[in-house]
Amino acid sequence: MLRKILLRNQSFLQLIIALFGALLGVVFLLVSVHYLIKVTEFGKGSEMLGPNILVVQKKVSTTTTLQLASSIFTQHEIQSIQNKSFIAEVKPVTSNNFGVEFATSDPMLPYFRSDVFIQSIDKRFLDVKSSQWKWNEGAEFVPIILPRDFMVMLNTFMSSAGIPQISDQLAEEVQFSLVLSNDNTQRKFNAKIIGFTNEVSSILVPESFMKYGGNTFGNKKQEKITQIIIAGKEKEFGLLEKFLDQNQYESKNAQLVTGRLKSVVSTLLIVIAFISFLTLLFSSFVLIQYIQLLISKNSYEVKTLLRLGYPSKSLSNVFIVYFVSLFGMLCVLGSVFFVFLKSYLDEKLHSTGIYIDFQYTFYSWATLGFSFVLFFVLTFISSKRNIMHEF
Amino acid sequence: MNIHFNHVLPTPLSSMQQTVNSLWNQSLILEKGKKVVVEAPSGRGKSTLMHLLFGVRKDYTGEICVDDKNLSTFSHRTWTEFRKNKVSIVFQDLQLFPQLTVLENLQLKNDLTNHYSLAELVAFMDQVGLSEKLNQKCGNLSMGQQQRVAIIRSICQPFSWLLLDEPFSHLDSENAEICMGIINEACGKQEAGWVLTSLGTNINSSYDQLITI
Repeated sequence: MLRKILLRNQSFLQLIIALFGALLGVVFLLVSVHYLIKVTEFGKGSEMLGPNILVVQKKVSTTTTLQLASSIFTQHEIQSIQNKSFIAEVKPVTSNNFGVEFATSDPMLPYFRSDVFIQSIDKRFLDVKSSQWKWNEGAEFVPIILPRDFMVMLNTFMSSAGIPQISDQLAEEVQFSLVLSNDNTQRKFNAKIIGFTNEVSSILVPESFMKYGGNTFGNKKQEKITQIIIAGKEKEFGLLEKFLDQNQYESKNAQLVTGRLKSVVSTLLIVIAFISFLTLLFSSFVLIQYIQLLISKNSYEVKTLLRLGYPSKSLSNVFIVYFVSLFGMLCVLGSVFFVFLKSYLDEKLHSTGIYIDFQYTFYSWATLGFSFVLFFVLTFISSKRNIMHEF
Repeated sequence: MNIHFNHVLPTPLSSMQQTVNSLWNQSLILEKGKKVVVEAPSGRGKSTLMHLLFGVRKDYTGEICVDDKNLSTFSHRTWTEFRKNKVSIVFQDLQLFPQLTVLENLQLKNDLTNHYSLAELVAFMDQVGLSEKLNQKCGNLSMGQQQRVAIIRSICQPFSWLLLDEPFSHLDSENAEICMGIINEACGKQEAGWVLTSLGTNINSSYDQLITI
């Protein structure tokens, strides 16, 4: 009966507008926090939106060609790059100093061979995470990570040879071989593709295999570092890009685009998350104002009930339960919209070649929980205070 | 439960000339279980007195004590308990819920302490001639009918004092007598007293104390 008395005199249009605002706030907050976490999550192995990793080399110019300038990175240079505030980590990229031949070795595929360039990078920089990424002498096969461009080239060859093109999945099941050689000897190794990368332009092999190749087939000269791999800090990509430009370093254009895109997307998502939070906060304030208005519109009823001997707590509980239930339903509805919107956006991203992790993040639900608790506290305080005001 | 007045003067009446017999600015005791009539012409503070005793107004000087407890020191919680179990009231403006039915208005009060059963409530309404109006909205009743509902509502709780602010102003003498009978019976059962304000002393009941303002 208390609900019947206290929840009359409502302006439903005002309530609906406030609830709609809060619903939009909830949905956009969930979406923006979800994608913000996906973008900023470090080291989750997502290709497109992982950490800003660049393979960097010195720009080749006429002076370097004429050997007036060096294209080699010295230890001093590497150390000074490492010391920059916007750089998380720097490691040299090890390249082969021996002959390497890559060939198909599967009866299902036509024979294809090519002299190739192999490199190895620190495991932490790999955007393909696999338990197979290890090699020791006597291992059944050498795990390799293929540049996606190489796969495109291979498929172009397949196509011109009148053979169906192979998918990523199929390529990982086909047998390949690597032949390491020097002037005197050579050795063949079975190879298996375990993943693809957009970040490096050469075939990647485990560091232990590269070391073995260098020791067995290498020319024993001091290794020269012509490429380094850099992990830039989140949200400071602009500084990194400027630094590369000033020092005549260059990177793969696609990586720069990815890095720039990632920085822009991160910033945009932070802005959207902030705006969503403000929307939610303001609509919550409108709802709180609405509670105050409702209590003052029902001032006679509240006063009379207090005079009849009803405890103020049981009156404020009517408002708290009603509005917190409304907000709870709104959160559930907002979550359902979020699930649909996320599924739609994931599909859109997938269809445009952006392979982000599709798992839900704890943080988006935690944000929703935090919003609910915040609303509960505000409603609790507002209802109590306004009821006591009528005493 | 005795009520002590110790030089009480409501702020709005402070500029008013007080008579020798006036309740205001005097020391006075309302003894437990007594029937007290407060008689005064309009504008002398009869409703103000009821509101002070019920904690609706707090703008006064002096002290009002209930069994040595000063009303001005009561917390919200104490007032709630006081209104639920110690003191009940019939307001001059009745303070019913016009959108609720007669029965709902009674139950709203009765549900707090379950003082009477539904059958008893119906019997009371039958006594005051409103048994057919039980499910009608209070807003649709005449003032006299509403006054009877308010009187019955006021006894739907345990109390030591019943405050009646011109409770029969819209009632004919027959209905006033019936209502007074119900009030006296309810007070008698609980050994409670009542304070009744009136413009005159014609109240269809005997009383123990007459106070003029």
